[in-house]
Amino acid sequence: MTASRTQHLVSSGGIFAIALFVAWVSFTQEPAEAFLFPRLISVFFMAFALWNFVRAVMGLSKVGEGLSGDTVKAILPGLIVILIYFFWAAKGYGKVAALEGHWLYDWVRRGLGFYTSSTIAFFTLYSIYDPTPFSDGRSWIKRVIVTTIFMAVIYGLFALLLKVQTPRGMIF
Amino acid sequence: MKTLFKALGLSLAAATMGLAVPASADEYPSRPIGVAVSYGAGGATDFQARIVTMVAGNEDMLGQPIYILNKPGAGGRVGWNWFADEVEADGYTMSAYNVPHFIAQSIKGGVKYSVDSFEPIANWGADPAVVVVGKDSPYNTIQELVDYAKGNPGKVTLSGAGLFVGHHIAALQLEKETGAKFVYIPTKGGGAAAMKAVIAGDVVAGINNLSDGFRAAEAGNVKVLAVADLERNDFLPDVPTLMESGYPVDNASVNFRGLMVPKGTPQDVIDKLAAKVPGMFEHARVVKRMKAGGSPLHVMNREEVQAMWAKRQETLAELLKGL
Amino acid sequence: MEFLSYFGGVFEPLAFALLVGGTIGGLILGATPGLSPTMAVALLIPFTFHLSATQGLILLGAAYTSTVAGGAVSAILLKIPGAPANIATALDGNAMARKGQGARALHLSFLSSGIGGVLGVLLLIFLTPMLAQWALAFGPSHLFWLAILGVTVIGTLDSKSFVKGLLSGCIGLWLSMIGYDDIQGAQRFIFHDALAGGIHIIAALIGIFAIPQVLDMFAKGRSKVKIEAIDVPQHAFGDSVKEIGRSARPLTIGTVIGSIVGLIPGIGGQIAGLVAYDQAKKFSPHKEKFGTGHPEGLVAAESANNAMVGPSLVPLLTLSIPGSPTAAVLLGGLLIHGIFPGSDIFDRNPEVIWTFINSMLIGQIFMVIFGIAIAKWAAKIARAPLPIMGSAVLVLALFGSYSVQQSMGDVWIMLSLGLGMYFLEKFGFSAAPVVLGLILGPIAESNFVQGSLIAGAQFDGNWAQAQYFMTGSLNLVLMALVVLSIGYSFLSHRARGRNASVKSGEVQA
Repeated sequence: MTASRTQHLVSSGGIFAIALFVAWVSFTQEPAEAFLFPRLISVFFMAFALWNFVRAVMGLSKVGEGLSGDTVKAILPGLIVILIYFFWAAKGYGKVAALEGHWLYDWVRRGLGFYTSSTIAFFTLYSIYDPTPFSDGRSWIKRVIVTTIFMAVIYGLFALLLKVQTPRGMIF
Repeated sequence: MKTLFKALGLSLAAATMGLAVPASADEYPSRPIGVAVSYGAGGATDFQARIVTMVAGNEDMLGQPIYILNKPGAGGRVGWNWFADEVEADGYTMSAYNVPHFIAQSIKGGVKYSVDSFEPIANWGADPAVVVVGKDSPYNTIQELVDYAKGNPGKVTLSGAGLFVGHHIAALQLEKETGAKFVYIPTKGGGAAAMKAVIAGDVVAGINNLSDGFRAAEAGNVKVLAVADLERNDFLPDVPTLMESGYPVDNASVNFRGLMVPKGTPQDVIDKLAAKVPGMFEHARVVKRMKAGGSPLHVMNREEVQAMWAKRQETLAELLKGL
Repeated sequence: MEFLSYFGGVFEPLAFALLVGGTIGGLILGATPGLSPTMAVALLIPFTFHLSATQGLILLGAAYTSTVAGGAVSAILLKIPGAPANIATALDGNAMARKGQGARALHLSFLSSGIGGVLGVLLLIFLTPMLAQWALAFGPSHLFWLAILGVTVIGTLDSKSFVKGLLSGCIGLWLSMIGYDDIQGAQRFIFHDALAGGIHIIAALIGIFAIPQVLDMFAKGRSKVKIEAIDVPQHAFGDSVKEIGRSARPLTIGTVIGSIVGLIPGIGGQIAGLVAYDQAKKFSPHKEKFGTGHPEGLVAAESANNAMVGPSLVPLLTLSIPGSPTAAVLLGGLLIHGIFPGSDIFDRNPEVIWTFINSMLIGQIFMVIFGIAIAKWAAKIARAPLPIMGSAVLVLALFGSYSVQQSMGDVWIMLSLGLGMYFLEKFGFSAAPVVLGLILGPIAESNFVQGSLIAGAQFDGNWAQAQYFMTGSLNLVLMALVVLSIGYSFLSHRARGRNASVKSGEVQA
């Protein structure tokens, strides 16, 4: 299966827009010496992006299976979990000055800590994508056991063996 | 209703944060302390920081180990930007500083820090800049090199580790005091890449760290012509200073390394660190390792560092004015 | 033959335990998706404080060699290379694994790593003084041309479409320019503070390869069709040994290219595998099979990766110039113990240095033995159901990208690049050229800028730069190689396009 012509148009159009933007930045920013190399690269970038775009317009783009509605539907829940997971693991990162001091913002910003959020994320993702029906009680026990073993290995490796200092949140 | 939620939230937040409330100085430090190094693992600042902090866990020192965080990039700007902007001022994250680098960068602009963003704790090392040439170079003294540069303006290339670092400052001072015109070649990848350019003959001469220059000279790869410091160095007693050679270049380019915390750190934490850390730098094991590594140790306390920072700020603002 | 008298040091109980432990540990870390050799070696430094110089170096050296070899395991089984060095391994290795030849691919990979590694260390033992001179012959202009030569590989590398391959390379080159420019100190394309330090190659590598795999696993997750990540049937080890015996050509190409690239400080050894893969393809009578699960490319890439290790220590030990990020960490390990590199290092510290080098020689053999054992075990883990595998790789990607610089910014960069790459892959773009652009961009640029400055001082007139970059025999040889490489890619693509159009009636360009 290959992607539809519209999808190819949109994707190569997007890349072409990025290339134009890169070229615009490269040719307008100062100091010029620091942007010499970006200018050179952006010219090639733009030329190839244009070539690719024209091919898409002419309907010559054939490689790549594209994105089907089913695929998007399948990965979307996972993607949302991933974003929440990374945000909550990311204690103390990316300030929003306007919100600082508000209790809810401060509380959210504390994050859950690497190990807590990883445990929750692993368990959630595993549960979402495990094909066993949710009504099967034994599968839940299995998921809890697998999550525990996996996180124990991760903790042993990073915290105990390699002594990586991870951000601490509210819990662990 | 709103107040109820707020009260509920506050109590919830207080309950969950209970463990992490900044501790008073009596309990500080109650967990390991991080030291951010704005250069990559294996570089001079990194490996010296690892040596001077290795006894932190001893009971009579800080009682908690120190771990190193590498935040390299853009000649140190990335690490110090992060340190000035993102770090909690609770004493659990310190940073290594490199003077004149961070002061020169803040004068030049485009960064989020200045001398006023940080509180020094103590200084551990001073690594002067040296002028080196390849072992087969026709120049045997700094005068010969400067005279040649005077006769051939824009023909003498000098490699160094980036712009607005100690090496660059030394090159600027040398140009200013001799009147010769050099071409400064900033390299990517720190002192090692700049030294490679000298050894391989890609450039006529180079400015590098004394510790690296000393090692390369020991190995017979380069000749060290002069030291940019107020007096000769114990590692290279035969190499004259630039001042002795007739060029009044002071110690503004000497790479001072030490520890600092962000502004806003509780005063009692600063006091505790300032009292303990110089002793940690002078620990017998640290001294032995630093000497073995060819790294000059130069311990200064908090007051001395504050004075040194203020003086550098003045000198560098003057030197970089026209640039 | 002086080195023979220092073999005893390797077999002292603690040193030997460190060698075995470092090799096994390195293999496991390397084989875990998301964990990189640079990270493993940097995290090991504090441990070496408590050891003697020899013991510390043995540990770091064992970790250095075995993590790169271990990276081949996740490259083959999951298409997630452990290090930039393993990208080429993933191209054909994973295709083999998908055809059910995972065990064969793993055997061949470790055997060729071992052979390349031993030959590389032998070069280090016997030819160091001569090689040190060669390492210095490459100045800024030569490194610039070498980087350009690397860029020309992009067009033919793992791309179903010529223009999309080149475009992927351009995206990588652009990404490499983000952040403070190291030489001028100017800010370029910094849309967010996290980007100020530029895009770390390891964070990018993890994101670009691991995240699309995770999403692909999730895309199939809840269906019951085929739930195992990959099945790896048994393969007779003897057959693999015989096959390696017949693979003289890719082995030679890999070892020679790996040794040369490893020797040149500043290229970093990260591209040894890719260049070797490309050359093996160009010299092979079965070009069309590359990318479909053909062992030749795998053998060339893996022998190059480990052949690089020995020669990369030549500039490090004699000139104190680290040739790769990992070597830079090793240098720190040397200095901490008061061992100064220099051309006389073999006379000043013979027992430390020779014992270290000998340990690497023995370590290569251990690496093959333990590597094959661990691969068997890893193959079992790879049979885990997709939902577990996907979730596990995701968590590891977070930890792996965070641990490199202990920076949350890197984690977000990793995720953003990964999501971007997932969509790009769906439209025929490929990951390998993006990473290659990301690696080569800074090398090309910094050497171009330095070269231009030096040219201005060395030559007069308007053509100073041209004179500096385009005269001298080494420059001319490298330029000729660039032209040959471009011409070759262009011609082979046209030929392939014509064949395809005859067959299917449409141009696959």
